[in-house]
Amino acid sequence: MKPRTIRYFLEEGVTGLKKNLLMTMASIMAVMACITILSFSYIVTSNLEHVLQQMEDSIGISVFIDGEPDSAEISRIRGELEALDYVTFVEYISPAQALDALKADWGADEDIFTGLDNDNNPLSHSFQLSLSDMDYQTLVLTEVSKIDGIGTVRHGQAETELITKLSDVLRNVGIVVMALLSIISVTIITNTIRISVANRRVEINIMKYVGATDTFIRWPFIVEGMIIGLVGAAVPLALSVPLYSAAIQNLYAAIPVIEMVQFRLSGDIFVTLAPMALAFGIVLGIIGSTTSIRKHLRV
Amino acid sequence: MIQLNNVTKIYPDGSKGVENINLHIRKGEFVFIVGSSGSGKSTLMKLLLKELDPTEGEIIINRIVTNELPRKQIPYLRRKLGVVFQDFRLLPNKTVAENVAFAMLVVEAPRRVIRRNVPAVLALVGLEKKGRSKPNQLSGGEQQRTALARAIVNNPPILICDEPTGNLDPETTWEIMELLVEINKRGTTIVMATHARDIVDIMQKRVITIDDGHIVRDREGGYVG
Repeated sequence: MKPRTIRYFLEEGVTGLKKNLLMTMASIMAVMACITILSFSYIVTSNLEHVLQQMEDSIGISVFIDGEPDSAEISRIRGELEALDYVTFVEYISPAQALDALKADWGADEDIFTGLDNDNNPLSHSFQLSLSDMDYQTLVLTEVSKIDGIGTVRHGQAETELITKLSDVLRNVGIVVMALLSIISVTIITNTIRISVANRRVEINIMKYVGATDTFIRWPFIVEGMIIGLVGAAVPLALSVPLYSAAIQNLYAAIPVIEMVQFRLSGDIFVTLAPMALAFGIVLGIIGSTTSIRKHLRV
Repeated sequence: MIQLNNVTKIYPDGSKGVENINLHIRKGEFVFIVGSSGSGKSTLMKLLLKELDPTEGEIIINRIVTNELPRKQIPYLRRKLGVVFQDFRLLPNKTVAENVAFAMLVVEAPRRVIRRNVPAVLALVGLEKKGRSKPNQLSGGEQQRTALARAIVNNPPILICDEPTGNLDPETTWEIMELLVEINKRGTTIVMATHARDIVDIMQKRVITIDDGHIVRDREGGYVG
């Protein structure tokens, strides 16, 4: 395709949109609504997954050993734990180390541990496990419980499951709402392009008689759809960058405890979201225009 | 150049357009198609332009059997057929030169060829000074000359004219006819459907008369004699 022809398609596409400004605006608004939901859904779920990842990195599994194992017993259990699939790191924590850590955690209030020392230490020998993927936590727990000499096992399964479920629900709700809005967007775009086709009836007729190919006649309308999709995606994207930063700041200000959690940087989010949303907007526009062309443009 | 062999067109509602038409138009001929309204004249023009396909028979244009032509090839057939209509069909928002250039633009002609051919063809139809005018600033005759310029700017070997003088006064009609004769002299085959008995009588060209979907007369001369 010649550059001049591409320029012609672009000019004709823009002219068509201008002639039909009201419907063009309605189409752009519909795509904007769709992309806003897509962006919101992506931002929230990706942040939840990010939080989940942080929890996975920090929580791990604590395995406590019954009784007073000797060093051979500790080595055996350590070896068996290290041999488990998805276990990436095993750290042995003696009762003395556990007590020191506890005292350090309580800081100024360590007085409550007065009377507890190495000779009088109620804490157990334990191992701290890190997993390569928290999705396999249940499987690892089952395997750990089969090892001889293992007492209590503590893990953050309930919390991770809650976040995973929340993330899934949000993603699914986002997909359903987005699907509905996509249908509405495509319908409005289809009607916009139908009016544009009607506006150019005479022109299309002349093009047919002078030997323009079907593709040549159709392209300006596809360009119209693409422009609607592009603008409809670019506006909410441009708005969501500052809105995201403001939302995070407000969240930290309103709920100080949330500072423990690190949200994703806007750059990290938008490097994925921007191409995804723009491509989705353009695809909506192309589907809308091609549907209309198929129905209303007899060439 | 144009050949119709046993061509019949029956519309989906059962009405007959043309029946068993046999016709051969040679390269460089100037042919009138005449007949009353509803005689099948318009059906014949639409068959030539491949707006319609025959129910039976075959149509050969420029050695191409058009009724067997794949849909994608239709534009390339139409590039060999210039078309002029009674109602001009100019784009009101474009100038005269742009209307003519549009026909070249949509077939993706090189820019230098557009720059060369548009002024040349406007000069041929006597509109060299009207290139920047919009159609609503032109008389009926000038509008039809613009349409004629658009039809021939891509140098089609055949020109199909459907009642080209139907909306024009007698004086302007003759201006257009003189132009058509000039274009025909340059080698373009011209097929012109018309109701204008006086034109046909004065021109003394080949006249094909259609009545009730059949060719009832095909000879050189006037409308009836």
